[in-house]
Amino acid sequence: MSTKDDNILQELAVEEYKYGFTTDIEMDIANKGLSEETVRFISAKKGEPEWLLDWRLKALKHFEKMSMPKWQNFEHPKVDFQDISYYAAPKEKPKVSSMEEVDPELLDTFAKLGIPLDEQKILAGVVAVDAVFDSVSVKTTFREKLKEYGVIFCSFGEAVKEYPDLVKQYLGTVVPQTDNIYAALNAAVFSDGSFVYIPKGVNCPMELSTYFRINAQNTGQFERTLIVADEGSYVSYLEGCTAPMRDENQLHAAVVELIALENAEIKYSTVQNWYPGDKEGKGGIYNFVTKRGICRGANSKISWTQVETGSSITWKYPSVILKGDNSVGEFYSVALTRNHQIADTGSKMYHIGKNTRSKIVSKGISAGVSQNSYRGLVQIGKGAEKARNFTQCDSLLIGDKCGAHTFPYIEAKNKTAKLEHEATTSKIGEDQIFYLTQRGIDPEKAVGLIVNGYAKEVLNQLPMEFAVEAQKLLAISLEGSVG
Amino acid sequence: MITQVSSSLYHQLVAFFEEELPLKGYQEPLGSIRKEAFARFKDSGFPSLKMEDWKYTNLQPLINQHYRLNDSIPGRNVNIDKAVIGGLDTYRLVLVNGHYRKDLSDTITDSGVVVCAIEDGVTEHEFLSHFAKYADRTDNPLVALNTALHEGGLYIHIGKNVTLKKSVQIIHVASADEAVFNQARNLFVLDENAEAEIIESFISNDHSVSLNNTVSELVLKEGARLQHYYLQVADEKSRYLNHTEVKQARHSLYNNYNCSFPGSSFIRNNINVRLDDTAVESHLYGVTLTAQDQLVDNHTIVDHRMPHCESYEWYKNIAQDTSTAVFNGKIFVQPDAQKTNAFQQNNNMLIGDKANIFTKPQLEIFADDVKCSHGCTMGQFDEDALFYLKARGVGEASARVLLVHAFAFDVTEKFSNTHVRAYVDSLIERGLVID
Repeated sequence: MSTKDDNILQELAVEEYKYGFTTDIEMDIANKGLSEETVRFISAKKGEPEWLLDWRLKALKHFEKMSMPKWQNFEHPKVDFQDISYYAAPKEKPKVSSMEEVDPELLDTFAKLGIPLDEQKILAGVVAVDAVFDSVSVKTTFREKLKEYGVIFCSFGEAVKEYPDLVKQYLGTVVPQTDNIYAALNAAVFSDGSFVYIPKGVNCPMELSTYFRINAQNTGQFERTLIVADEGSYVSYLEGCTAPMRDENQLHAAVVELIALENAEIKYSTVQNWYPGDKEGKGGIYNFVTKRGICRGANSKISWTQVETGSSITWKYPSVILKGDNSVGEFYSVALTRNHQIADTGSKMYHIGKNTRSKIVSKGISAGVSQNSYRGLVQIGKGAEKARNFTQCDSLLIGDKCGAHTFPYIEAKNKTAKLEHEATTSKIGEDQIFYLTQRGIDPEKAVGLIVNGYAKEVLNQLPMEFAVEAQKLLAISLEGSVG
Repeated sequence: MITQVSSSLYHQLVAFFEEELPLKGYQEPLGSIRKEAFARFKDSGFPSLKMEDWKYTNLQPLINQHYRLNDSIPGRNVNIDKAVIGGLDTYRLVLVNGHYRKDLSDTITDSGVVVCAIEDGVTEHEFLSHFAKYADRTDNPLVALNTALHEGGLYIHIGKNVTLKKSVQIIHVASADEAVFNQARNLFVLDENAEAEIIESFISNDHSVSLNNTVSELVLKEGARLQHYYLQVADEKSRYLNHTEVKQARHSLYNNYNCSFPGSSFIRNNINVRLDDTAVESHLYGVTLTAQDQLVDNHTIVDHRMPHCESYEWYKNIAQDTSTAVFNGKIFVQPDAQKTNAFQQNNNMLIGDKANIFTKPQLEIFADDVKCSHGCTMGQFDEDALFYLKARGVGEASARVLLVHAFAFDVTEKFSNTHVRAYVDSLIERGLVID
């Protein structure tokens, strides 16, 4: 670990959740409530074409007919869908074309979060950022440079206007409106998000990144990400999120769709650090997200990596549909819960094509009175000859009041399938802590070290800049859980 | 809820309970227990695919038909040859369509042992403190139905410090000339330091259609030890819904060996073990070999409630033809159950072209000082191993038999009774479809 990491624990002993500030900015907020009017209002605000409005309205109809699922391993909180504002945006200004025109308050906010929006300031220029503030995309950096390669990276709203055919062709093909209640809600009221298209044979020259920020009160955030990797292309995409500290719970119901065509590869990484609520479990974000990718073409690959430390409830299962022959799906996850946090997360791998392979590595860490569940599905279809899966889900318990649970579903319908699943649950070894303390490392740091070692397999999958961030995040989150 | 269950059996049962039973007049104290249980069943109806525990097991085809609710010929003749285990001398107890048949059964002469039909057990001094006290706490609607309408079954009580001289073999025979719905209820109580081996065989006669909804409650007091076998060899037309609920006290040991073979088209076993005291040990083993259109579904729960307990579970499934094998193993470690060791393993061989295997090894852990692990694999015949054997002159068919034996060995070697083990090995060999 770098010296920087070593200082983290002290550094953050003072700050509990350092992204908890709010930004004072003029906002355009829709009235609370969900109805056809709301959907029409959002659609009109965004100046959307007729077909998209119809699509939204159809989703709303589905949403109204659906009821809350009951199978999850936590009590579903009462969410009053009429008490949420579905649209919040920084007050509309004339379209920004250069940095000077972006509200300085906003730039300040993102600077505080460590997200440089000012292209001039990034010398290396390895990451292009799409910053989403409440419901709308504020600024996408490096668009011009990306355009040289033919890569489209813009906000969803712009994509609808500029590339309607592409959006129309792929929107909702992986996560249909009817998929689940939150996907339906998202389809009806989604306000913005990111759109990425990598043309044939292009290896995207830089990491693409979206940064999500909830700021306004009483709002929900509903964004939609759509990434299409055309034949033989490659893209690595990062996603980060934070929110201010508030007493009430806020809803984040996003949808992410990934489409990999023949020989394409998409790598999607998430470092999720929404506000987790206070020590008593008051407030925090409900992170109910539907993420799914499809390996449509032969030899394609989709890889999900997630580091989940925030949110009062995290409920998501990034999945891969392995339709193309020889396609590969991967899922790497570290989920850390403490205090009253709940995580019910895992992955689903649907093997449909021949010679498909998938790998799931899930590391759960629970501390305090939190509950951490792994729920996964590995399904081998009738035609999925020679499918291969390896699943490993480990749980680490810190303290005697937390819980760790695993619910792996394994369904095989083809006799050539080879599957392995293993899971262990244990607490942090006292002898490991003893060994480290004996060498002068204080117990808290020792735990941080052990946890980082335990999560290494997953953290290694992250792009380098994010890996450092994620390590810090784990160390911070463990703060105070060793007693 | 009720409107969804439009199956004829449901309505038949409701009508039977509400109209016919009052005429017969069930006696207290069971009367009120039955009434209360029936209210629960009436409310929930039969389980549907929408229930998590019945996700892969569709009861609808079974309950969409009309059944006789009691045996048309109570004293019928039956053939029990199929249940004979070579070389094993046992006390034989025979139940026909759930009813204890003294005329076909051996008398157990060991002192301190009570064996009687469940309806005669009511007068035994401990009966009411155990009956319907354990299984009914689960939310299985079929248990409620059985509690409400059970007919027949066995009550066995083994006294303090008694070790049975011979194994007890209980032979469940399904035999009828029209479709019959049997609901036997068993209660086995082992007093302090009692020791026994109970082997339950399920067979059927005359290719009769039957649906058997059996509930067994087992109570093991301090230091009691029980070896418990389920050997499922019935015919295609007999279907089984078995629920076993085990309550264990300090220092007790419960071993369950659950074996299913080609035959019965529908088998659902629920085996729940509650480790309700410290220093308890439980082992659950299973071998399932399925063929043709069979569905065998094993659901187990190992519930660690107190510290210093140990559980060990190992299930092997081999699915052939178009059959389906389901395994769901739940391990709970409750907050107080520190120092628990829980191990679970599920291995599957998917051989049939259209066979399915669904498995869900599940851990729910609320205590931190524990060692818990589970593993699950799915695969086929190892081509290298087959080649190795063939290269040494072993024929294809024998090589496959050998490999399946080797696969099942991890479990069969744990059998406490060598005769049963040989019997199971031969059934595996016979049940294999080698082409």
